[in-house]
Amino acid sequence: MTFPTSPLSVVELACAALSATILVGYLVLRPPLLRATKIALLFGLGVFPIGAAFAGNVQGFEATKEREFCGSCHVMALHRADSDDAASGSLASRHARNAMFGSENCYVCHANYGMFGTILTKAGGMRHVWLYLTEYRNTPLEEAKKTIHLREPAQMNGNCMQCHSTEDGLWLQVPDHKASLDDTRAGRMGCASEGCHGFAHPFFRAPAAGGKP
Amino acid sequence: MSTEARPFQRWVAVSCVCALAALALMTWQIFDPTVWPVIVAMSLGQLLGTASFAAFGYVVFADYRARRHDRA
Repeated sequence: MTFPTSPLSVVELACAALSATILVGYLVLRPPLLRATKIALLFGLGVFPIGAAFAGNVQGFEATKEREFCGSCHVMALHRADSDDAASGSLASRHARNAMFGSENCYVCHANYGMFGTILTKAGGMRHVWLYLTEYRNTPLEEAKKTIHLREPAQMNGNCMQCHSTEDGLWLQVPDHKASLDDTRAGRMGCASEGCHGFAHPFFRAPAAGGKP
Repeated sequence: MSTEARPFQRWVAVSCVCALAALALMTWQIFDPTVWPVIVAMSLGQLLGTASFAAFGYVVFADYRARRHDRA
């Protein structure tokens, strides 16, 4: 249970409370449908609920970026716990401790970028929900660890490169970076792989073929 | 014939109840921002809220038409 503190939450709650007051008032008093009643109901059924829905939608979309949201499916429990662990040295956890990622570290690293990035990410999220409902709902965590994997691992480097551009002089001075530059940019060699920076989620090795992305 | 007696006025009460349910679903996600509350708020909550507003719109339109008919 989270206590709402964001302005959007407060707006949504205020609109919902005003609307509920009008609606309960109508249901209790049952006044005749005169003009004043209709205007009151216009606010109770239209204006305030639309305000609540608008604020709620924006708040909801923001909530979907949070680690708490991603980790609310049990198969992501280990990922969430690792990112929450301040002592963990995993890539995911280290990024979570960076203020630029913070509590949205799952989203920042896994989201699509570009003009339609957010839409593609949300559509992909719905696919996750569908797979969870149809296949993973009752899957034990140990089994999920062996089967869940990235759908398009080659794209992950692109996400790393949103911040680590591979253009910086210091970065290029590292011999391994220099040697693997083309492969890194093309996604043929993962930044987060064994021998380079290690898996982002070390407890979650790349599964054998046949797993579900 | 008064508006109060028209059968479609029951729709107002139904839409009020639907809107209250929609508001409850939409505010649930604020207190529990996890997968199911957020999805339910953005789907069922929106659907119920829209349906209740549409029902109210229908009642207002039907009432207006009936009043015009009474006057004619």
